[in-house]
Amino acid sequence: MIRIAAVGDVHVDQDVLGRYRPALEQLPGIADALLVAGDLTRHGTVEEARCMASEFGGLGVPVVVVLGNHDHQSDQGSQVTDVLRDAGLIVLEGDGTILEAHGRRLGIAGVKGFGGGFAGACASSFGEREMKNFVGTTEASAEKLGAALRSLECDALVALTHYAPVPETLAGEPPEIYPFLGSYLLGQAIDSAPTALALHGHAHHGTERGRTPGGVPVRNVAHPVIKQAYNVYQLLSEDVD
Amino acid sequence: MAPQLDEYLEAEIQRLLTEHGAIAEQGITLQRREHLLILGGEVESAQRRDEICRQISARFPDLEIACDIGIIRAAAPSEVEEIS
Repeated sequence: MIRIAAVGDVHVDQDVLGRYRPALEQLPGIADALLVAGDLTRHGTVEEARCMASEFGGLGVPVVVVLGNHDHQSDQGSQVTDVLRDAGLIVLEGDGTILEAHGRRLGIAGVKGFGGGFAGACASSFGEREMKNFVGTTEASAEKLGAALRSLECDALVALTHYAPVPETLAGEPPEIYPFLGSYLLGQAIDSAPTALALHGHAHHGTERGRTPGGVPVRNVAHPVIKQAYNVYQLLSEDVD
Repeated sequence: MAPQLDEYLEAEIQRLLTEHGAIAEQGITLQRREHLLILGGEVESAQRRDEICRQISARFPDLEIACDIGIIRAAAPSEVEEIS
C-alpha cells in the first residue's frame, strides 16, 4: 500500500505563510509523499518560490512538484526551480522520479503541460506560426510526459501535470475556455503507459474526478476544488504491509 | 456617473483580475446585475480578496460591487480515497 497526498494551485506568497503548515506537518503519519500540481506561486518570482520552499519544504516526506502557468509569469522558471530544488523539493518537467515506500516503488512522471482542447473542439497545427507554436508546445510537452511515464520501472505509476488531460475534470468551467485548460494529448500520453493515477490542477471551478479514455483515474486537485490542504489517495491497496 | 455594466466592462475587469500585478487571479467569477457587479470564487487569503475589491473600486469608483469571494480552507483531510 502506498498513500500519496496531492494538491495544486496553492499560489504561495508572504500572505499565505503558515496557512498550510499545520496540515502539512501531519503528513508523515498520513502519506508517503506529497505531490503538488503546479501554480506553486502567484507571479513566479524567486521571492515567492522561497515562500513556497519555506511552507512546503522540510516535511518529512518527499515533495514532488511541477510548475504551473503562474510560475512562469515572471519568466523566471529556471530560478524558481533552483530555489525549490535547493529546499529539497523534486521538480519535474518532462521527466520522472522513483520513490521507495514500504518496499514498493512509486514512479512519478511530471510535466506542466499546456492547452489545446479535447476531441470535438481541439486546436490544430495549421495556419499562422503562432497557432503552430501553440499546438507544438503541447505536442512536445505530451511527448515528454509519455516518454517519462514509459521509462519508469515501478509498482505504481502516477502522472502529475498542471494542465488537465481530460475534459471531465473541467466540468464547472466555461466550455469556451477548455482549450486553455488542457489537452487530449496529455491524456493520450497517460494512456500510453500503465498509469495508476493522473493528477492535475489549473481548473479552479472544475470537478475532482474523471477518467482517461483508456480508463486511468484522473483527479483535479486544484485547491479551490478539493477545499482542504491536500487529498490523500491510496494505491496498491491489495498489498499486505 | 456609474459605468454601463455591459460585456465590454466585464471583459475589462476579467483581464484586470488576471493581469494586474497585485491580483493575478484567474478564478474569480463576475455576475452582472442591473446596477451591481457580484464577485465570486475563492482565493488563498483575506488580503487577496480585499485587494481585488480595492483595485476594482479604484479603477471604477462609481461601480457598485458585491464581494462574495471566499477564502479556501486549508485543513488536513479526514478521509483517504482508495484508487482502483
